[in-house]
Amino acid sequence: MSSRMIRSFQGLLLLGLSIFFASKAASGQLTWYINARFVPLTIFGMVFLAVLAQAVFTEIRRARQHEQEHDPEHDHHHEHDHAPASGSLWVMLIPLAIGILIPARPLDSSAFSTKGFSTSAPLVSSDSSARIFETESEERNILDWLKLFNFEENVTQFNGQSASVIGFVYFDEALETDQFYVSRFVVSCCAADGFAIAMPVLWGEALTLEQDSWVLVKGSIETVILNESRVPMIVAESVQSVPAPDQPYLFP
Amino acid sequence: METTTTPRRLPRNLILLITLGILVLVASSMMPAGFFSWLWDRLNVFATVFLGIFVEAVPFLLLGTFASGLVEVFLDRDQMSRWVSNRPAAAAVSGAFMGMIFPVCECGVVPLTRRLFKKGLPLSAGISFLLAAPVLNPIVIFSTASAFGWGEMLFWRFAISLGIAVVTGLIFSVENDAGSILRPVLSAHEHDHDHAAPGASFLEKTRKALLITVDEFFDMGRYLILGSMLSAGLQTFIPQSALLAIGSGPILSVLVMLLLAILLSICSTVDSFVALGFVNTFSFGSILSFLVFGPMVDIKSVMMYVQVFKRRAVFYIVAIPFMMSLLTGLIFNYLIR
Repeated sequence: MSSRMIRSFQGLLLLGLSIFFASKAASGQLTWYINARFVPLTIFGMVFLAVLAQAVFTEIRRARQHEQEHDPEHDHHHEHDHAPASGSLWVMLIPLAIGILIPARPLDSSAFSTKGFSTSAPLVSSDSSARIFETESEERNILDWLKLFNFEENVTQFNGQSASVIGFVYFDEALETDQFYVSRFVVSCCAADGFAIAMPVLWGEALTLEQDSWVLVKGSIETVILNESRVPMIVAESVQSVPAPDQPYLFP
Repeated sequence: METTTTPRRLPRNLILLITLGILVLVASSMMPAGFFSWLWDRLNVFATVFLGIFVEAVPFLLLGTFASGLVEVFLDRDQMSRWVSNRPAAAAVSGAFMGMIFPVCECGVVPLTRRLFKKGLPLSAGISFLLAAPVLNPIVIFSTASAFGWGEMLFWRFAISLGIAVVTGLIFSVENDAGSILRPVLSAHEHDHDHAAPGASFLEKTRKALLITVDEFFDMGRYLILGSMLSAGLQTFIPQSALLAIGSGPILSVLVMLLLAILLSICSTVDSFVALGFVNTFSFGSILSFLVFGPMVDIKSVMMYVQVFKRRAVFYIVAIPFMMSLLTGLIFNYLIR
């Protein structure tokens, strides 16, 4: 590949990556891959990639002008010195190809087999249990409930509190037929560190639900023993199917 | 040579491709129903995890390569020798703290270190910078504190990372200069004499810095991509529970956490939140070794090391921190708690 072709290819790849990031940002799908906290960083990356593409295209134009003004023999030598390795460029097509060819899908129960899931969650030191206590019990999400149960000694105090959580349905062999898990993925950084958390739900019509479908579960909390630890279970009054939320993951 | 081998290789490749195609067809007809939906699910998890690591890492890699471009254009060798001591011990310590000025994580630190070596940074300083900067920087201090609080974990993480980085830097100072551990660079902007042309305008210099950023982004980016693919692939097919089930003893648990640090390849800016998830299952010592070792060595950073350093140097860059992190974990597991 000639030096100019390599530069053009570089420019197109940079532009392609920038557009790829932009389209993910525009469709709101960035949070399918990373914690919402890092979205501004990705936006910065998108802009910076565009700036780099612009720099490359300017360089191509300058080189062409340069060539017209000077002795082509000399320039050939000069350009040869500048040529970056072309082999590294093709690899950059991989993320674009994966992003375009494989339809985007957030982590769901099919990741449980390798990532596993948990019915307890640690308290991050920057959030206090007081904050979770202060919120109305209906406002707490799955992560809040599990943190509370992990942190508090006396968990039976929560029995009877009303709960209202959104999550996707997961059936586990360990549960009875009138039970299912309502679960979410928790992502601190990116999908690579995603781990699933789940609360068992008691509901007579559990079998009518579909694996991975999103539901809003309303009911009251009851403490149960699961795998030798105390876990909050929702005794459901209603289980309503809802569209998948814009941000499928919870961020600790 | 190339013209004579090409016509012979092409049909052979074609035959190989056809054989492979037939094998895949035969194999797929024998697969139980549900195999393809299983495979499709796996592929989806793979794509999400891979793009997660990639999207997360690109801005950091851009920042690191841009810092490298700026160093190339704006910093000359004289300034470097004025700032950094030539005595190995002092250089190693100051190198370890340079992360406070250049807040880079493990993706960005590799190209920046290579560039600083080119500018005459002493070996011990460069190696300790490479290993310490992903932890000893304001962003990581803050994220570790917000996960574990301003307490023991934070203190030991930084003290031990500093120690390992300085010791490794000192060990490397037996080599004379950076040339003996660095791989020769093929792309030729190195030979370009007019980069540091004293008369060049600020705009001109910035333009050069951006072009260097581009070349290094592609140079390092491919290793980031290959590393992320490997990491995502392993995560898609090896159950984490299998790994966690192996280790609960004081020795195995440390080994498992070290393996996990390599496998997950997560950015040092957020790994403490991930480590927090293991607090209930793992001892203080094994989590500490995860937090110390992960930023120094993981799949994607090793991929980048291999690109920049000679094999033997990579071996020591990986092996010394590994042994010392293991030792740290064991000491904490046996003696302190």
